[in-house]
Amino acid sequence: MKNQANPWLTNNLVLLGVGMLPALLLIGLLLYFTAWAFAFSFTDLALVGRKSVEWSWVGFENFQRLFTRRGFLESLWTTVIFVFFSAIVGQSVLGFLLAALLRGRNSTLKTVIEVCIMLGWLLPDIVAAFLWSATTAQTGLINALIVVPLGFEPVNFINDYALPVVIIANIWKGTAWSYLLFSAALDSISREVVEAAKVDGATPFQRVWLVMLPIIRPHIATNMLFITIWTFTYFPLIFAMTGGGPGTQTTTLAVFLYNQSFSRGNLGFGSAISVAMLVIVGLLSLVYLRMLREPK
Amino acid sequence: MFRRNLLASATAIALMAGAAMPAKAEVSIMYAEWLASLVEPGIAAYEKETGEKVNAIKLPGAGYDQRIALDLSAGTASDVVQMDSFMVSELASSGYLMPLDEKAAAWDQYQYYMKGLLEVASYDGHVYALPTDTDVRMLWYYKPNFEKAGIAMPWEPKTWADVLDAAQKLKDAGVEYAFQIPAGTKQGEATTMQGVYMALLGADKPDDDRNRLLNRKTGQWIGDSPGLRRTLDLYHQIYIDKQLAPADLNYATDPGAAVRQALADGKLGILASGSWEDACLWDCNGVNLPSREERDKLVGWTPWPGSGEPGAKATTNISGGWTIGVNAKAADPDAAFKLVTTIFDVANFKAWTLANHRMAVRTDISESPEYMADPYLAKATALAADTTGRDTVPGYQTVSALVQQATSDILDGASVDEAIKTYHDALVDEFGEDKVITYQ
Repeated sequence: MKNQANPWLTNNLVLLGVGMLPALLLIGLLLYFTAWAFAFSFTDLALVGRKSVEWSWVGFENFQRLFTRRGFLESLWTTVIFVFFSAIVGQSVLGFLLAALLRGRNSTLKTVIEVCIMLGWLLPDIVAAFLWSATTAQTGLINALIVVPLGFEPVNFINDYALPVVIIANIWKGTAWSYLLFSAALDSISREVVEAAKVDGATPFQRVWLVMLPIIRPHIATNMLFITIWTFTYFPLIFAMTGGGPGTQTTTLAVFLYNQSFSRGNLGFGSAISVAMLVIVGLLSLVYLRMLREPK
Repeated sequence: MFRRNLLASATAIALMAGAAMPAKAEVSIMYAEWLASLVEPGIAAYEKETGEKVNAIKLPGAGYDQRIALDLSAGTASDVVQMDSFMVSELASSGYLMPLDEKAAAWDQYQYYMKGLLEVASYDGHVYALPTDTDVRMLWYYKPNFEKAGIAMPWEPKTWADVLDAAQKLKDAGVEYAFQIPAGTKQGEATTMQGVYMALLGADKPDDDRNRLLNRKTGQWIGDSPGLRRTLDLYHQIYIDKQLAPADLNYATDPGAAVRQALADGKLGILASGSWEDACLWDCNGVNLPSREERDKLVGWTPWPGSGEPGAKATTNISGGWTIGVNAKAADPDAAFKLVTTIFDVANFKAWTLANHRMAVRTDISESPEYMADPYLAKATALAADTTGRDTVPGYQTVSALVQQATSDILDGASVDEAIKTYHDALVDEFGEDKVITYQ
């Protein structure tokens, strides 16, 4: 193998080693933290109190608790709904539609829409949370502008429809990423291919479904991979808007993890939750990575 | 060590990432923003006297408890720390705080601290922090809405039924948050203290600690009791059966601010809260307060009544309060303690106590003519005659979080039975079967 390498590299192995050092350090750090979280998950370690000093190994007890006590499975289900609707259905589809519709246009409208989408992406999570809380409250913008003028009773959206509100807020917040990625992907499709399909009599729908989508399939998989992982572990917007409530209606796994680890100070159990999340996200990533491969 | 290494490195990285590494200074202090009017003049006095700069880290009130616990356990907390009194024993048992008895004995103003109030800040026979104030809890009510609902004032409910009845009348009169009682995990300790514990203490007869979270004689946590069931049922009636208020204030981006905004907008009927609200309803730092007459025209308060069950107490109360202590790892413990005593120096401390209508923790303040002449404090202090404290033993923080979770479960539509079972099982998980008891 050494023989096949670039001769310049083989003659400068020391330099190569030094150059790789930052990357190796980073990988080491990542492994170090993962290993700690993994080790914690087998202990009853607490943040404060006696068990923060006199902790002990408890075997698989924490993992057993994930499935025998209320909380984890409910949060997992909430997370699945949140990821499916806000990331997969919402951000991806909306991002793609916007990218497809605005493709090749150079109008003021496109600039305006792009700026609007990017604003959502650029706003800090906490600011976005305040905005959406204010907008969806009983005296908020939606009630004042739409519901009340139409003659209906004002609706307390953030209380009565907490999960849909959080999902919509997250779609609003995150669509820019999908839009940018799909715009770049669509731009990479050569005009000739699409023109040829048009000449062959393909309808606009067929051109998108049979020509463009298969070409950008790897981009779709990459996008799905990123936004699934982000959304699965996403915390700030949800916590700031609803704190996981009312009740536990918007308690996703990230909020559940926070409550267990820092409100209850139960670091051992919290680590078990994070290990479970790691496994789930890992499995999902494998599925997407498989999608990335070219079909035989 | 095991965990501290990780937490320390994680926090160090987070700090570097946020470029929030505090500048090097002789003494550092962390405090919640609402305590600024006590801490900041103290810091200024300290800087003037010693010529040293104090590194002051002002933090938002939301999530404050978690931040302090995390920073202390990671070893990145400041030298002087403000904390809720319920956390003192927990943090002290982890070895994060410095015992103050010796240093305090040499301070001439220490003798004035009331012994019983120092107990909440003690662990294992040592005092670990000095209290800023104490408090009592009650039901506040918004007078214009009571007038609108046709409820006679002064309002003096005798049982929970009376309270629910008034709340129903308020709801019928169109008051959105007819009865706002803190619920859920985002309200944190407020749910436990202003809501659950106040109800629980009057839910059942007091024998044998049947109406508490802990049997203080045996040291066992109470996993199930008629009192707990009645308390959760009260939550069920308020938020589910009678829908006396939507739950959203409890989960708002900033619950404290949301509640006060609702009051300012005239949307609140009854509010379960505490003695600090006399100033806090307008501004927790005591600035821009309306006059006594204007406040009295808008809000009134009444003691929390008992449930009305035979043998239950007529009114209930529980007291907490905040404290300031010294980090066990303080670089210069003497300077840190000096900062504490400068903040608590009578000139600074007394002015703050009076301006904010806080309940004094020191006799040199509580016996002063100005304090005794304050009609609000005189009336509120009378409630303190029959108060009790939290179960300030290690483990309380966890139990408190479990209680908050139980109210959250109720909001989710869980029955009282289900919520109690989850609570009981979680106690067993945390403390073991022999540390949990059930009252029939």
